[in-house]
Amino acid sequence: MNLNQLRYVVGESMAMMARRKAANGFSIVIMGLSLLILVVFILLTLNVQSVIDRASEEMRAYVYLKDGVGAATLREIQMKLLGLEGISEVVFVSRDEALTSFRQTLGGNKDMLDALGSNPLPDAYRVKMKPEYIRSEYMERLAGEAGKWEGVEEFRYGERWLGRGEKLVRGFYVVDLCIGVIILLSVIFVIANTVRLTVLTRQKTIEVAKLVGATNAYIRIPFLVEGAFQGTVASLLAIALLAVIHAFAKRYLPGVLFLRGDSILGFVVFCALLGALASYGAMRRFLKV
Amino acid sequence: MEQDQRIIVGVYHLSKTFGKHFSLHDINLQVTNGEFVFLVGRSGAGKSTLLRMIYMDDFPSSGQVVVGPHVSTKMKRSTIPNLRRKVGIVFQDFRLLDDRTVFENVALALKVAGAGISDVKHQVTDILMRVGLYHKRYDFPHELSGGEQQRVAIARAVANRPSVLLADEPTGNLDPVVTRSILELLFKINAGGTAVLMATHDLDLVKSFGQRIIYLDGGRVVKDKDMIYVGDLRDRIAGSEISEKADRLEDRDITGERGNRR
Repeated sequence: MNLNQLRYVVGESMAMMARRKAANGFSIVIMGLSLLILVVFILLTLNVQSVIDRASEEMRAYVYLKDGVGAATLREIQMKLLGLEGISEVVFVSRDEALTSFRQTLGGNKDMLDALGSNPLPDAYRVKMKPEYIRSEYMERLAGEAGKWEGVEEFRYGERWLGRGEKLVRGFYVVDLCIGVIILLSVIFVIANTVRLTVLTRQKTIEVAKLVGATNAYIRIPFLVEGAFQGTVASLLAIALLAVIHAFAKRYLPGVLFLRGDSILGFVVFCALLGALASYGAMRRFLKV
Repeated sequence: MEQDQRIIVGVYHLSKTFGKHFSLHDINLQVTNGEFVFLVGRSGAGKSTLLRMIYMDDFPSSGQVVVGPHVSTKMKRSTIPNLRRKVGIVFQDFRLLDDRTVFENVALALKVAGAGISDVKHQVTDILMRVGLYHKRYDFPHELSGGEQQRVAIARAVANRPSVLLADEPTGNLDPVVTRSILELLFKINAGGTAVLMATHDLDLVKSFGQRIIYLDGGRVVKDKDMIYVGDLRDRIAGSEISEKADRLEDRDITGERGNRR
């Protein structure tokens, strides 16, 4: 296809869409609303993930030490911990510091500790993890390994909390995936149907174009452009509606996140390709050109 | 298949069946460069099917069609557009696009071939002037008479300067006066060097022009030029209108009345 043909085909595409404004508009609104459901769930997932990530950053693991561990062993444990790739910071917390901190936490109930008589808390290392390593699997392995070291009583990292958070995010991802598949199928169906109707109304144009020597690409491209255009505008509509919902939600939850610029661009490009693909499928099925 | 360079359309032992029914049976004919040929036969004789084989909208069940460098048995779907740009096609029902002006209808043929904007403008203007419709270039097909619509269809068919123009009953929807003018236009195009193969059921219309006439009946060529496919075929179609008219024409040919118009 030469440049002239490309110019004509683009012009043809524009004219074709202009002639079918109402049908295209209707399809775009339906697709936009369908895609909105998808992006709402994606945004929800993103925010849940963000909350869990922020909480994880605050999370500290503790390596509780046995009573009477010598200085050399303490140093060895510290060096071993610092040698692990998932750990960014290791701080020694003596039993006395721990008790003071615990008293502050208990506030009005600190008298309970006085009743004990002696300090029940052990010495410990407070460990800060690198965020990307705060995953159940890694932490479990680490706890198992560190727990066997000489002088170490126990490695604790809030395993129940972490497990629940991960399950929640996994659940969201599964829901996103299911909704995503359903929405994408419905979007493909809507685009394919619109294109099929366009094909039927333009049967004569296609026939005449073929008679005068139009190539398959010349005939197909306007339909592909129409599908891509519908996908693009529908995705932008979904993003615009999502922005409205986000602005509303932000009044009540100030920290709520919005999709990043590159994610929006990726989503729009994906929807444009999806539209073109749906058109291509419809053309193949109904035209045999 | 190698064929004489002067032959623009060659049909060799072409048969076409739909199911068990023969639509065309062992057709052989050649159209040379610049020739004007009428293809005459009743409705259902196979004229349109034969033309469709020539512009390769369909393919023979056996035998082959050769149009310029294009051979039906070796044809790829992707090269059909190249053939269509060298073969102009006109139909009884005009097949104009209702949502486009006269200018745009004609321009379509040039645009699909990739002509530049200024070339499209100049050529469409030139063609519309030749067919006498330049003053109606901004009109839509529904604003034109049947004859005018057919002129637009012819203008579109010859826009890419085809080697051969195939016309399938181009006067079938027109009154006798307009029919005459359309035929005059086709002769004018033919005089410019484009071969014309025109299918019609109206023998009375074409015999007065003295051009080569190929008679088609029941999917078979029963007469072409001075060659009459006689014998059992003649017996088979004995009594048919075509046969009688072929007889009369044959007599006229023998008396030397037939002449070349150009």
